[in-house]
Amino acid sequence: METLEAVDTAAPPGRGPGVRTAVSGWVLRVAAALFLIGGYLQPVFAGVYLSGDFDGLAMHLMGADTLSVISIAQVGAAVAVWIRVRRAWPFWASLALMLGGVAQYFAGMDGALWLHLPLGVTLIAGITVVTAALWMRPLPRRVKGARTDG
Amino acid sequence: MADLNVSRRRLFGIGAGIGAVAAGGIALSAAWARRPAETGDQLVSEVPLPQAFSIPLPIPAVAEPVSSGDDGDRYEMVQIETEAEIIPGYQTRLWTYNGTFPGPTIESRRGRHVTVSHRNELPVPTVVHLHGGRTPASSDGYPTDLVLPEGWAETAAHGHGGHSMTDDLAVVTNVQRDYGFPLDQRATMLWYHDHRMDFTAPAIWRGLAGLHFVRDEVEDALDLPRGDREIPLMIADRAFDADGQLAYPSLDPTLTGEMGVEEPYLAGVLGDVVLVNGAPWPVHEVDSGLYRLRILNASNARHYELEAVADSGERLPLTQIGADQGLLEAPVRHDTLPIAPAERYDLLIDFSRLPVGTKVRLANRLGTDRTADVMAFHVVRAGEAMPIPETLADDLPSWDRADAAVTRDIAFRAGRMDDGRHGWLIDGLPFDPNRTDVTARLGDTEVWRLIADVHHPVHLHLVGFRILSRGNAGPHSHDAGLKDTIALRPGESAEIITRFDGYRGRYLFHCHNAEHEDMGMMANLEVV
Repeated sequence: METLEAVDTAAPPGRGPGVRTAVSGWVLRVAAALFLIGGYLQPVFAGVYLSGDFDGLAMHLMGADTLSVISIAQVGAAVAVWIRVRRAWPFWASLALMLGGVAQYFAGMDGALWLHLPLGVTLIAGITVVTAALWMRPLPRRVKGARTDG
Repeated sequence: MADLNVSRRRLFGIGAGIGAVAAGGIALSAAWARRPAETGDQLVSEVPLPQAFSIPLPIPAVAEPVSSGDDGDRYEMVQIETEAEIIPGYQTRLWTYNGTFPGPTIESRRGRHVTVSHRNELPVPTVVHLHGGRTPASSDGYPTDLVLPEGWAETAAHGHGGHSMTDDLAVVTNVQRDYGFPLDQRATMLWYHDHRMDFTAPAIWRGLAGLHFVRDEVEDALDLPRGDREIPLMIADRAFDADGQLAYPSLDPTLTGEMGVEEPYLAGVLGDVVLVNGAPWPVHEVDSGLYRLRILNASNARHYELEAVADSGERLPLTQIGADQGLLEAPVRHDTLPIAPAERYDLLIDFSRLPVGTKVRLANRLGTDRTADVMAFHVVRAGEAMPIPETLADDLPSWDRADAAVTRDIAFRAGRMDDGRHGWLIDGLPFDPNRTDVTARLGDTEVWRLIADVHHPVHLHLVGFRILSRGNAGPHSHDAGLKDTIALRPGESAEIITRFDGYRGRYLFHCHNAEHEDMGMMANLEVV
């Protein structure tokens, strides 16, 4: 059976194009990490707001705006990873998170809490899984003829 | 890193599993959560309910003063239990002002003093509050300023009627009390209702509510529909038990012991019968002219979103000319209009393009089944069209955020009362008459930022306010004008601005979901 294996152990880091994470991969990893941090701050702001601090709402909105920008940047970086690293899943995952974020944004603005709360939890879980997956394995630049399945 | 020999199939399986759980959760929320949100639970009536739009709309009688002089008008009212036929074929016991529900309407002029002498012949203490009135604190109906019924043994200082707290500042009277209203305020429709500590909600439910108009020269100068073309509509939901009596889930139905309601109704008591002026789903005959509707939501917890729909399916615009505290600067046209407990709207509705014979349904878009109907207008004869004025009042206060002496954040949310029971809190605290929550200086302008967890219609005594913003955006179209109650949706916040003028003394602000109000959601506002 085909396996996805961690290749970090195949060779010491920093040697050879098949092991070191490509620049596009690093951009994607950083975007995902920022997305993760921002994502986890959103419920904090919401809690501050609902505890009675009106400024929490402005922070929640600023967080939402910032996350929108990051999620678009992450999709851009994932496109680069698709091209340079020949891995498609980060793109589809980032796109799904971005679209989920758009829905989350409008659900929040509309006061549709029935959607905003469960979707928020789902997005946090999704961001966590995707970020962990991106940082778990290297995203090396592929040379011609290297595997493209990823 | 350790070997991560995970098969693609397994990875896919895990991903699909998590995705299914997430999608299932959201689908469950979509199906289970109330969309639109509703705070409260509905009682189900046990009597056969009348057909909608078959009972004529009653108009509450206008009270006659017992004396009038240079120093104003004096009215006398008796709070008395009576029976009335609300559901055809059933006599329902009610607590009333002067034997009618709604109570008699008081018509007054700006600046002309009105005294209302209330005599309590009910089995429990009462308190009268004129909602929206610019009233000295001694006549504002503070919840512990009780009027005791004849022979009532206890006094305010000794746990009056099961009230959870004593209040040394309370001014308690026996049987009778004169309430004085200077009414130095803009023309509008106010309402008076019971406001007794811990038992406001069941007392209003049993019928203790009436309308009070203030008129002034600004209103007189406008060419607005008058006489029987100006229709007061007090909308209130109720439920009836198998005997045709009002159903209400009080923990203590005598309303003398333990306050509060049975657990399923802690968020608010909703009825399945919509009464207008005390009649279920009534119909009112009109001509094809312009009418002025003075609407009050006197329900304990039910919110409505009103729309007027002709039987052709055509929706009639509702032209708002006034809010809680009087006329707007200019009319605002609405297709639908949300109204929370204690809010009022002054509306114009134009039947002139409708053929005689048309029925126009005043519907509630937030309702389901029977609560989706409110009442109907039946166009029975030709009338005269009338233009809607383009400008209305120029006497609205214009307060600027920059003038605010204080900005306060105030949170309205669920929590625990002092005794550990579920309750409703303002800034984390249940109501205590002995604690001053907000001290405002007379003449100061203040901005309050209100934050809600579920629906909370927030009401300030003494003053009107303007709405500066909702959440991160501007006010809604129905937020125009001067308000005294603002409806916050779940998770919503709003900024309001007001100036504390008029009188010094101990006032209140509170949630006007009457069940929330009884279960802690009030706070003291001391004007100094």
